[in-house]
Amino acid sequence: MSGTLSLKPSYYEALKRLTIELVGVKIGAEHEFLVETRLLALARKEGFESLNQMIDELFSRGQTRLAIHVVTALLERATSFFEGRNGFETIGDVLLPNLHKLYRGGTVRILSYGCSSGQEIYSAAILVDKIAEILPNMKIELIGVDYPSQALERAKKGRFTHFEVQRGLPIRHLIKYFTQDGEDWVVKDSLRNKISFIDHNLLSDISDLGTYQIVMFRGHLNQITKPAKKRILRSLSRLVCAHGYLMLGCNESLDTANFWFDPVPIAAGCFKKRGKMAENPFLSPVPNPADEETSQQLPIATQFQGNGAL
Amino acid sequence: MKTATKTCLIVDDSKMIRRVATRILRELKFEPSEAGNGREALDICKASMPDAILLDWNMPVMDGLSFLKTLRNSSGGSKPVVVFCTAERDIIKIAEALDAGADEYIMKPFDSDILGSKFTEVGLLGQDRYAQSTL
Repeated sequence: MSGTLSLKPSYYEALKRLTIELVGVKIGAEHEFLVETRLLALARKEGFESLNQMIDELFSRGQTRLAIHVVTALLERATSFFEGRNGFETIGDVLLPNLHKLYRGGTVRILSYGCSSGQEIYSAAILVDKIAEILPNMKIELIGVDYPSQALERAKKGRFTHFEVQRGLPIRHLIKYFTQDGEDWVVKDSLRNKISFIDHNLLSDISDLGTYQIVMFRGHLNQITKPAKKRILRSLSRLVCAHGYLMLGCNESLDTANFWFDPVPIAAGCFKKRGKMAENPFLSPVPNPADEETSQQLPIATQFQGNGAL
Repeated sequence: MKTATKTCLIVDDSKMIRRVATRILRELKFEPSEAGNGREALDICKASMPDAILLDWNMPVMDGLSFLKTLRNSSGGSKPVVVFCTAERDIIKIAEALDAGADEYIMKPFDSDILGSKFTEVGLLGQDRYAQSTL
């Protein structure tokens, strides 16, 4: 730990274990400043005199509500519009036309899994609006899912700062899809109403979320532990319907298991779900031995009562 | 094969803004040059047309919009990528700049991420130069 930070080294270590055990996310040594900054803001908001006092309260009393706030504050991702632009080009140029051909129009559902403050799903909505003419009779539903957090609340409102709208968003899109409100920019209702946002723990049961033709989970995999990664990829496999697509970051892969996906050769990070539903083990409730890795007792997480709320 | 360094003319009456933009552009591997108003910028463009122009709106002698209209009507003036960089945030003003031939638009204050993002948008930088943020 750097001497300039106020958080006790033992607390930093405990927070690292807490995020791994509750949500499977690794906090690295390089995140010290980020952790300090985010939690300091939270400590002030929660009325604590210092950051250490808040963490002391967190671990001594095992407050579930505070644990949720701490973990979601730590997990908030700084994202930008059209981040990983190649992925959006793949969706617009390849995936949606393929699905349009396959379904002869019909309804296609696109999910941003871990949508944070919403830039990814709003970018997808802009893309869909731009290419609607070439996809006749196709209804596209857009859904953003993430842990309950301030970021997700901002996503629901579609409100972005002056800085956020200038990262990745072409100026023509800004003036077409946003209105100015004081210092902020707000997504117009015509675009915002096309998207639904759902509060959901990314590591919990996904059976209520339904299935999708395109699931975006980009830029997350490298941060999470191996057991959590396996568990999430298995969930994602259940979320993607047959012949649907999983979009990971262009430098991310499924590792050794294929989770019933095949890579799409022309697009890095894009995987297509195999077609025969009946042969898909991820659609049946057959227990998987790998589950044992994540179902072990969680020494820190279990200090918090009812941690299923996360 | 080594690619030629791209040139970018910074047109702004604020010395401080020119200094900050010069530093960021050097980090982005551009070769920056400076002008304090639209008239000076036209003289520089006449001598050698830059690849890109970072253009303020409100300046003495000749403002950014007049400069841009004159540039786009001059020989070789369609070549540079022009990115407005101004405190003007009104949607009508933004639309006016785009109609006059601006390729992109930055609202001040800005930082290196915004400049990099906008330059990527207009093809001056490679795609996805920014890694996905972590945590």
